[in-house]
Amino acid sequence: MLDLLKIFIRNRKAAAGLLIVVFYVVVALAAPLITSHDPNKRVSRPHQPPSIEYSMGTTRMGRDVYTQLVWGTRTSLMVGILAGFIVTLIGTVVGLTAAYYGGATDETLNFATNVVLVLPQLPLLLVLAAFLGQVGPLAIAVIIGLTSWAWGARVTRAQAMTLKNREFIQASELIGEPVWRMILVEMLPNLLSIICFNFIGSVIFTIITQATLEFLGLGDPLSVSWGTMLYNANNASAITVGAWWEMAAPCAAIVLIGIGLSLLNFGVDEISNPRLRTLGAIGKAMKLQKRLDRERLMEKEA
Amino acid sequence: MRFVLRRLAFYLVAFLVAATFNFLIPRLMPGNPADIMLAQSQGTIPPEAREALMATFGFINEPLHLQYLKYLASIFTWDFGLSVKYYPTPVIDLLTRALPWTLFLTGTATLLAYALGTLFGIRAAWQRGGRFDSVISPMALALQSVPAVVIALTALFVFAVSLNWLPTGYAYDPSLEPSLDGTFLSSTLKHALMPVLSLGLVLVGGYLVTMRNNMIGQLGEDYVHLAEAKGLSDARVRYNYAARNALLPSITAFAISLGSVFGGSLITEVVFNYPGLGNLLYQGVIARDFPLIQGQLLIMTLAMLAANFAVDLAYVALDPRLRRA
Repeated sequence: MLDLLKIFIRNRKAAAGLLIVVFYVVVALAAPLITSHDPNKRVSRPHQPPSIEYSMGTTRMGRDVYTQLVWGTRTSLMVGILAGFIVTLIGTVVGLTAAYYGGATDETLNFATNVVLVLPQLPLLLVLAAFLGQVGPLAIAVIIGLTSWAWGARVTRAQAMTLKNREFIQASELIGEPVWRMILVEMLPNLLSIICFNFIGSVIFTIITQATLEFLGLGDPLSVSWGTMLYNANNASAITVGAWWEMAAPCAAIVLIGIGLSLLNFGVDEISNPRLRTLGAIGKAMKLQKRLDRERLMEKEA
Repeated sequence: MRFVLRRLAFYLVAFLVAATFNFLIPRLMPGNPADIMLAQSQGTIPPEAREALMATFGFINEPLHLQYLKYLASIFTWDFGLSVKYYPTPVIDLLTRALPWTLFLTGTATLLAYALGTLFGIRAAWQRGGRFDSVISPMALALQSVPAVVIALTALFVFAVSLNWLPTGYAYDPSLEPSLDGTFLSSTLKHALMPVLSLGLVLVGGYLVTMRNNMIGQLGEDYVHLAEAKGLSDARVRYNYAARNALLPSITAFAISLGSVFGGSLITEVVFNYPGLGNLLYQGVIARDFPLIQGQLLIMTLAMLAANFAVDLAYVALDPRLRRA
């Protein structure tokens, strides 16, 4: 565990990503401590620009943007993690089952995966949300989780297929290991980096999609999240009346967590795929080579 | 040929699955569209109209399988019923009016983003760790995690509201009549500029990163070293050897990204009030216009399947092994 942390910190991308994500988690956990009132309380006149008292200004309704942002972090992270968990669970189970059993099971599951992949997802989510009426953040997490597993299933299946023909799996088959042990103990640990990649990717996707759905007015307008902040700001024509802070705060929050999570993801990718990892080293080597060349050239001229 | 036929069969089945979902969703959801509409109309629709409304949605007092057959028949005759919001315009008319705008928007933006992303990806991988790579790749990485909403809203704020360079919405100046003369075309172009560029910006990062990673994988292969050892020119090794092979997995990634293309287009159309399918769907959803929503979802699925099929054809053109099989 400590070794893993060391590898993470040594990788610059992963370390930066980890730092950002930890920051968000801390903000989400400490929300009641770092804010002083209910996020939906009217504290001031509408559309006050950022000031010392209200560091991110106020909304059209006179609510404090900073407080809303902090509490919104809680919602967005929770929804992201919950949906990410569902996506990863379904994707891994489907992918592993398909790869391990092969034959008709594989055909069926693979077919289902491919069908889900070619359906237009966001429009489908929009329609589901519309039929369900204005849905709360938890319902959004569940809908996103249940409809977004296909990509992960496909990638997990592909990776597990290559594992299946390795010698150590065949050896354990010959020993007569039970199926559950074969899948959980022999195969799963070798798929960890893909599962991790899938999870982080799904969290990013969910946070973005939730904000998008809520921006379009399909969420519960009374819940506090980055998406409903965008929705309210858009409804108040914040952009055209020049109240940019109402729009900019949730936008910046979404972008930064997106960047943090994908940095973390690329770190995971580089750690598990050494070919991508050596980028920094190659750059340094190239610079060194150039300097040497220049020095030699100067020596010759001298 | 067999590959193409197999894919076509797959798309047909996928379409049927989508159509079945479309049939089931309103029937599985709590309440039914007619009651929701009655409740929302706040008395403007007389309660006697409930029966008629139910019938429009296909909720006839018949066994489910008969309803299903009738529904399927209506799809294949392009009969999606009448829109509620734009009553009494048939849904199919609304869709055919919106479809060209979406095709124009997504087509231009995707081609632009794919071409740029691929070229930049090749270049970044070729001199990885170099100056170009260390600037463009982190940028692509960051861009990849910026949602379409944020990009579109930022563009709207900067170029349309603050600088006032470009129009804030719609596909052309509403005072103009659609025709093929210069003023109309230039107005269309001016209105399309921001949606196309912001959708392109949403997509370009992903294409760049995928191509770069594929290309790095190819550059380590023996045949690339052989080509270099033979003394072939850099450009030949780069494009005819490595890039050509790196392109295949990148096209698979492209096919998977089509979902986000349509998703991104939906957002872009809503933010810029562009009269495409996505905006129409949004209007339909807001007004709870169920015939429109259902027809819309089918057309979007169809567009998505057609785009996937086009990618398959590109695959056949690029990979000779598929032509022989």
